[in-house]
Amino acid sequence: MVKRKGTTGVSKIKNCKQMTALLHDYLHDNLSRKLKREFERHLRFCPDCASFLNTYKKTVAATRSLDPETIPAKVRNNVLAFLRKQIRRIGAFLLCTTIQLLA
Amino acid sequence: MTRLEPLENPMSSIETKLIAATSMGLDSRVGSRLALRRSKRSGKDDAALIERLKAGDQNAFETIFDLYSRRLYSVAQRILGDVADTEEVIQDVFWTAYRKAKTFRGHSRLSTWLYRLTVNAALGKLRRGRKNREVEYEQFLPKFQEDGHHLVRPVVDWSDTLEESYAKHELQQLLKGALDQLQPLDKSAVVLSDLEGMPDKEIAATLGLTVLAVKTRLHRARLFLRGKLAVHLGHSAA
Repeated sequence: MVKRKGTTGVSKIKNCKQMTALLHDYLHDNLSRKLKREFERHLRFCPDCASFLNTYKKTVAATRSLDPETIPAKVRNNVLAFLRKQIRRIGAFLLCTTIQLLA
Repeated sequence: MTRLEPLENPMSSIETKLIAATSMGLDSRVGSRLALRRSKRSGKDDAALIERLKAGDQNAFETIFDLYSRRLYSVAQRILGDVADTEEVIQDVFWTAYRKAKTFRGHSRLSTWLYRLTVNAALGKLRRGRKNREVEYEQFLPKFQEDGHHLVRPVVDWSDTLEESYAKHELQQLLKGALDQLQPLDKSAVVLSDLEGMPDKEIAATLGLTVLAVKTRLHRARLFLRGKLAVHLGHSAA
């Protein structure tokens, strides 16, 4: 999918399809310096790719702005109660086993 | 032309997340929230907790529960989309963590281990008989002419009109619906990356994928989500 940072012999970006394949790495600053320069040169002359990049970035931003799901107090209490019960049960089981072994 | 800054550096530190969030036109509070969600506990703190847990200290277990239950719940809920299923998964995850604490060797961070347990449990639950809400990606992905140029031109830049077109709640519902249509592994990658702020390398460790596979899945999922938003706004996904 991508040429790593520092790689050599990177071919020139010829079209929008190649630009689109590089979007993720461009946004994560994972392109070699040369490829990044070519990417940005293409952007200057291709309004379609500039628009595509803007909308791609906006999509990521919108996803990141989703509110986290909050754990309802009832669910939290249920889970904690279950876990405490299980731990007590295991404790009692281990105690019985130890007593039996010692007897 | 507006200069288009990269989102973040490859290490995805909290600081770069903050810069990234701002550079994408996000409210800085979103970046802060990401940072808060991923607030880094030191490895030493976690190691001490695990050692106490291995020694049977129930308080250590409850501390771990307090520290991680909200985040793990959010991740599982996003993947499953169902409260009852999520409760079951969270219950299983913490019970497994308690029972398997002795096997935790500390090769990964405690948080990575817990995320892995959570995502695996959620994906397992999805595999076991949930109705499939995935859709074909193809119609929402960009299309190109034979010479590699965009098939539909001009590509409309709707990035500045998204918030004008939808109220926050509507946009959230729209995105949640689109997320639910992603393939489970793709959705997990998006949730861990965009909602939890996890770096690609850690996502790879959590999902049992290579970093390259994570990037490929994230990219494809984001193209799909972009296409869904474009179509909802009345534009071509291509």
